[in-house]
Formats: sequence, C-alpha cells, structure tokens
Amino acid sequence: MTEVSLSNPPSPPANPAGTLEIRNISKAFPNVQALSDVSLDIRPGEILAFVGENGAGKSTLLKIINGDYQPDIGTLTIDGQRLTFSNPHAAHAAGIRVIYQEPEIIPGVDVAENIRVGEMPKRFGLISRRKLNEEVERSLAEYGFTDVLPIHLLGDQLSSAQRQIVEIMRAIKSGIRVLALDEPTSSLTDDEVERLFTLVRRLRDEGVAIIYVSHRIKEILRLCDRVAILRDGRLVAVKPAAGLNDAEIMRLMVGRELSAVLKRQRAGTEQEVLRVEGLNSNWHSNISFHINAGEVVGFAGLVGAGRSELAKVIFGELPKSGGRILLGGRNVNIRRPDDAIAKGIGFAPEDRKREGLILMRSVLENASMAIMRQISRFHFVRRGMERSIATEYIEKLQVRTPSLDQEVGKLSGGNQQKVVLARWLAARPKVLILDEPTRGIDVGAKAEIYGLIDDLANQGLGIMFISSELPEILGLSDRIYVLQNGHITGELSATEASEEAVLALAMADHLIAAGSESQIKTKDSAT
Amino acid sequence: MSNELTPESITKSTELPKAPAKRPGFFQRMINGIGANNLSLIFAIIVLVLLVTVVSSWFGLEGGNKFFSWQNLWNSLAQAIVIVGLLAIGETVVIIAGALDISIGSIASIGSVVAASVLVGAGIVGGTHLLPTGSVFLALLAGIIAGMIAGSINGGIVTVLNVNPIIATLGTLAAFAGFAFLLAPDGKPIGVVTQPAFTWLAQGRFLTSVAIPALGGTKWTGIPILTIILIIVAIIVHIIMTYTDFGRAIYAIGGNAVAARLAGINLTSVRVMMYMLSGAIAGLAGVLLTSRTTSGNPINGVGLELQAITAVFLGGAATAGGKGTIMGTFLAVILVGILNNGMNLLGFNTFVQKVALGFLLIAAVAISQWRQARAESARTRIANKG
Repeated sequence: MTEVSLSNPPSPPANPAGTLEIRNISKAFPNVQALSDVSLDIRPGEILAFVGENGAGKSTLLKIINGDYQPDIGTLTIDGQRLTFSNPHAAHAAGIRVIYQEPEIIPGVDVAENIRVGEMPKRFGLISRRKLNEEVERSLAEYGFTDVLPIHLLGDQLSSAQRQIVEIMRAIKSGIRVLALDEPTSSLTDDEVERLFTLVRRLRDEGVAIIYVSHRIKEILRLCDRVAILRDGRLVAVKPAAGLNDAEIMRLMVGRELSAVLKRQRAGTEQEVLRVEGLNSNWHSNISFHINAGEVVGFAGLVGAGRSELAKVIFGELPKSGGRILLGGRNVNIRRPDDAIAKGIGFAPEDRKREGLILMRSVLENASMAIMRQISRFHFVRRGMERSIATEYIEKLQVRTPSLDQEVGKLSGGNQQKVVLARWLAARPKVLILDEPTRGIDVGAKAEIYGLIDDLANQGLGIMFISSELPEILGLSDRIYVLQNGHITGELSATEASEEAVLALAMADHLIAAGSESQIKTKDSAT
Repeated sequence: MSNELTPESITKSTELPKAPAKRPGFFQRMINGIGANNLSLIFAIIVLVLLVTVVSSWFGLEGGNKFFSWQNLWNSLAQAIVIVGLLAIGETVVIIAGALDISIGSIASIGSVVAASVLVGAGIVGGTHLLPTGSVFLALLAGIIAGMIAGSINGGIVTVLNVNPIIATLGTLAAFAGFAFLLAPDGKPIGVVTQPAFTWLAQGRFLTSVAIPALGGTKWTGIPILTIILIIVAIIVHIIMTYTDFGRAIYAIGGNAVAARLAGINLTSVRVMMYMLSGAIAGLAGVLLTSRTTSGNPINGVGLELQAITAVFLGGAATAGGKGTIMGTFLAVILVGILNNGMNLLGFNTFVQKVALGFLLIAAVAISQWRQARAESARTRIANKG
C-alpha cells in the first residue's frame, strides 16, 4: 500500500492541532477481517470522504470512531491524547459524533427539545420552555436554518433533511470537533442537499474535521477536500479530491482480481420462464426483463435501488400498479405469495431471520412449508413423506443440523440459509428468486451456495439472483440487469460485464436519470 | 451502507460443529415425550393437591380431607372445569397464532341463548317454528354454528379491516354480549328444564354401573358426560394442531407471520378459520352452559374469557405466539380447577378466589415471558459460539 504512505505523512507533528489521528486500526469479526491496519488523519477544517464498496469497511471504521465498536489493535488520538471510547457517549463527550443515515429523533417531541435533549435549560428546577426556544432559535438563526426547521414541529413530522439538521445541531451545541456523516444525502431532495452542503462547508470553515461517507461520487468530488478509498477493510489510497475523477475513484474502489471460485460453464436455453413487461409500482417504473430456463440472471444496484422490492412485487408480496408478468409465456395474475408459489416461483428473501424462517420451529417444519399442499391428504400432513422429502434436500444441501427436529434458530447463519433453500428446492419451482443469498454467512458456506446456484441453473431453473456483492454477481450471472432508483439502467451480457461497467450503471444517477426531474436538476447544479 | 458487515450478521455466521447423533437416555426421552413444560405443570398439580389435602390441615383449615372423594372429584372438580376448559382449548389455537380472542365469553352466551331458542322454539320469527322443537342435535348444532358465525365476524374484523386482535375482540366482547340479550325474548333467560334429553348433556353419567369402590365416603356415580365431551374436544383439537396443515400454519403464523406468508401460507384464510374454530368451541361451551344451568341465559358466558386465557398462558403458550400445546392448556385447566375447588373446600370465599385467579394470570404470563427470554438468549448463545 505505497499510496498510503505517500499521501499520508507518517510524522504526526505535521498535523494541525485538533487532528483526529487514526493509527493502525484493525478490527476482526468471526471469519471476517473488517479492517486491517488502517491509518488516517482527519484534519480540522477539511472534509474527508470515505468511499468503498459495500463491505469495504466504511461503516466499521465509523463505528469505531463513534465508540460503537472498539478496535482490536490500533489507536485514536487527538492532540497527542489517546482516545478510548467504551460507548458513543464517551465519543460525544470528546467532541466526536457520527450521524447515521437515520438519525435518532424522538417522535412525539418538538424540534427544540429534540436538539437539546438531555440538557434542557432549567429555571427553578423546572424546564424553561421560553429559554429553550430562545436558545434553539438563536442557534438555528446563526446557521441560517430558521426557515427550514420550525422549532415547534414534532419529531415525526420532520423530513429526512430536517432530521439530519436536528442531529447536526445537537452535535454543534455540544462543542463538536469531528463530525462524520454517513450517506447523508441518500434520501434528500436537491434543495435539501444544497442546504446540507452549505452547513457542512460552514462547519469546516469553523475548524471542524468532517468525514463524509457517500456512494455518490459526483457529490464527493464537489464537496470534499480529500478522498480516502477503502477496499476489503484496507485503506488503498488517500488523495486530494482536486486531482481525482469518478473513473479513477471507481478503479481504486474495485481494483481486484475476480474470485476464481466463480466459473461459469452453462448453456443457457432460449426457453423463457419469466418475463416482466413494463412493470410499475410504488418503487419501480417501467421495469422490463426476462429470464430463460437454465440461466442465472443477476440484479445489481446500490442498496435502495429497488431490487428486493422488485422481487417482492413479482412474488405478490408487494402490490404492482401496472405491467405484466408472464410465466412460460403465459400472462399470470399473482395476488399473494401463495399464488406465486402455485405458479412455480420460489423466493428466498434477503432477511432470512425476519422474512425467511420461523426461528422457533423445527428444521423439518421450515423445510416443508412451501409443499404443505402437495404432501397433505384431506389436510392431514403425510409425515413419512414429509420427512423423506426434507431429509433428501437437507442432505443434498449438507445442512449441518443434529436432527430434523432441531429449532432452526439454533443453527448458524449459513445453515439457516440452506434450510430456506431446501424449502424452495422441495417446491420444485421454475423460477427461483434469491435475494442476497450469501449475506452474513461465512466463506465456506458461500462457496457451497454458489455451487448450488450453478447446479440449479444446469438443471433448468431460471434464477433471479439479487446481490450487492459485485464479484459474486459477475461470477455467477449469465446476464446482469442493473437497477438504479427503481429503473433498469442497463443490461450487460457476461462478456460485457465488469465491476466498472456495473458500478457506472448503478451510480449513473446524475447522468442517465430516466426522466426524473430532480435528478436532472442535480446534474445541472453539479456542473 | 446497510450492506456492511455488522457483528450481528457476522457472529451468526459461524458454523455449528456437527453434533453426534446420540440417542437420548430413557429419562430424557420420557421428558421429551411429555414435554418439560407439561412436566412442570404436573409437578405443580401435585404440589397444589398436597397443599389442599395435607398442608392445609397443619394450619387448622378443614375440608381438605373431602378432596379425594368421588363426589368432589367428579361432581365438583371435573364438571366445573369443562366450560372454561373448552374455551381455553379454542383460545390456545388463537394464542399460538399470536393473536387473542377476548370475545369467547360473549360467544358462549350467544351459543347458550341460541341453543335454548332452538330447543323450545322461542325467539324464532314471530311465533312460527321454523325448526322442529325439542331436538337436542339441532340445538347443539345451532349453538355451534352461531359461535362459528360470531368467530367469522372476529376473523373478518382482524383480517379484512386489519384491526388489532385485542381491540377487535374487545369490541365484539361487548357487541356479542349485547346481541345475546337481543336474541333472548325481552332479554330474559329461556328455561329448558322441561327438556330432559337436553339437560342429560350436563347431568348424564358414563360408566355408572361399573363396580368401583367408594372413595372418601362417597359412592362411584360414573364419569360426567360433560367431562367426556371436554376430553373428546381436546383430543380433536390436539390432532388438528399436530397433524394437519392448518395446525402447522397456526404455529408458523404465530412464530413469524411475514415468513409464513412468504412461504405460501394464506394468512387471511387461516386466521378467519382459526377464529371460526375458537367461536365454534365457544358456541359448544354455551350450549353446555344452557344444559347445566337449565336455561339459555345471556349472562351465562360473562367473565369466562379471563379464566380461559389464564389457563392458556399457564399451560405454556408464548404471549408472542408460535408456542403452546393443547396438552399444556388441558393440564393448566386442571390446575386452575383444583385451585378453585381447593379454595372452595377450605372455605375461602369467591372474592378471594378472584384475587388469586388474577394474580395467577399475571404469574403465568411472567413465567411465559421469562421462558421466552431464556429461549432467545439460548439461541443467541449457540449462534455466537465459536
């Protein structure tokens, strides 16, 4: 990592007073090295961007700075004073604050109290409303937010931008030195983004050290002074924003060899199993795609692009407002998940604990849930048949469980995921939708699931494969659709697909905005 | 950013070592067969019986010696638990599904009045007997169907109108109670004392002529028909819950409704059917109440839901749903029955009994919560291991 040492001078005295010095931070979770030997200076009066793919270690680093996690190795220091935070309160007391995507706002309480929560001005031992309002109004006026943030609004009436501002005001009033913003603009309108940027620049000019985490490279190039790029838990580069462009940042974010585990040897057929035409919903507009038998079709995109929702709309869990779904060339009307299952669709949802499994019930019951109708006679479950089918798939998938009667909640994540897959294999669908099937499971189980997906496609299943991990989506998919903000922004064949190409389509918000006015405006204001 | 690794997602990912397939020992298998929870209920019953019969005498309380007599066991205890027992069995299904049905007492009142009406021909359209009078079978059927209809109303409110089950059935508790009065002419009870074939349901005995020696100074008079009905219903519902797709769906919905729906369970139809089952059983309980009190009285079912719900939670059902057994509820019904019966024998008045029952409900739920918390932490501990 020569780039690091070049751009990050090792001599601490070079840093101005108040610099947050991160030195040699490592953090491991079981089976995953989330951060390895990260050293970085966050200087007062500058905005430093953190960029990286999902899982690159940005969140872990923020959580260490905020005192949510403690590093395994490494130190944080300010002005030569070593900081050890056992919890976020300790970090706040030291003037360090991380503002996450969804700030914690008390819903039933107004803005003034939300800002001053925990330290209300008192008079005769009672909270003084008048003093509170005066003080809060004064500080809002100082930063020019009087008109955007009426102090009498209640917490649950606030927009995302207003919530961010409340959280930032909380931070300011308690003497902030380091402020980190995690994807602050993901749910903001352009006007709100501008106001936020004004505030952030002002805080920088007042000497606050600011960390800005975002997927939006255009925004980063506009706002930030330096850019720190993380990849697989390592800091790969810290560079002044002035000399960078988006292609260069993407190259640095991705720059790795494709995992050799993933090798495709499939002969996709021309026989179409699923076709979606002009699908509209609350989350999507004009989505069209198709999946052939024996094909793994990847769905890439950033978090929030609408991929999971697309799966749920197709599966009948979320409503669609227009468009057609065809299975095997025939137009079908799917109103509920049980319709979808009866018509030959299987769906392993992203969050297996909340949506996939009945954790307190047995492996057997979870595995046989989708085939209850087939294995029941006069509503009586044929238990012998149930056991033999469950055993077949539990063995095929090598689920490590003491018995079929084991509570699913007591299995590991990888084995839980395999139970979900066993359920759908037993149902013998024609189309299988897998939403982040390898999330939160260890490397060994991941490889097994990749092998399984490959096998299933070879057996003629059409697989809709949603994943946020680019290497696996590139390695497994025969074709890739890229979604962004509820639109399909592109389709890539296996030969065309590269991490850069997918990322460019996934982050194309300012360039290929499919008819959204607000996004076109962003483009204008950005240039 | 939500894709980043968090300790939650990571710690769960560790693989369990493959446990050796060890055959559990005899004692362990016996406990598994009965269920650890049911075993503790049996233990509690034994302790309670000892308290009533032996310990009470140490404190100079009299009456405990009457406990073990045919008169007390069959007439007082076994008959007394039947109505609450039936209601509790229906309620168990609803609670396992993670819902609640507070209206069962009022449904029983409706069943009581409807059965009596059909039996004596009163309350049927302006004096015209639409149905033959005096048919025990029709009365029984009418009471059950009335309960089923009431249950389907509950189910419709909960599923179609999407009202919280507690609020929905709290509303119908009041509404059905009022409706029971509207069904009875001038809101007065309908006497059925002149229908011996019908009152036989409550007063009849089974195996009267078997030569069984006297116990506690009272003669063997046979097993009450009521008790036999309770046992039959318990067995039927147990079979439904254990061996049918409907039973599986109930456990699945109570465990995780979203996951159940995504696995193809039609939540609406299962929930409506569940309320219809609970309503039908409450209707049957109402019919038997008519038979026992010899009148179709709109106040017959008042307040019974509290005892039924107490028994369900005492029987080990989880407040959050997904767990519970008919066997557990059945044992808990016996436990509550012995508590009431024992207090009667020892001369505590009904007010004291009500206080005790109220605290028992709270204790039952507290134990259930504690058990859930322990199961949860066990899951986390295992998932974190390694």
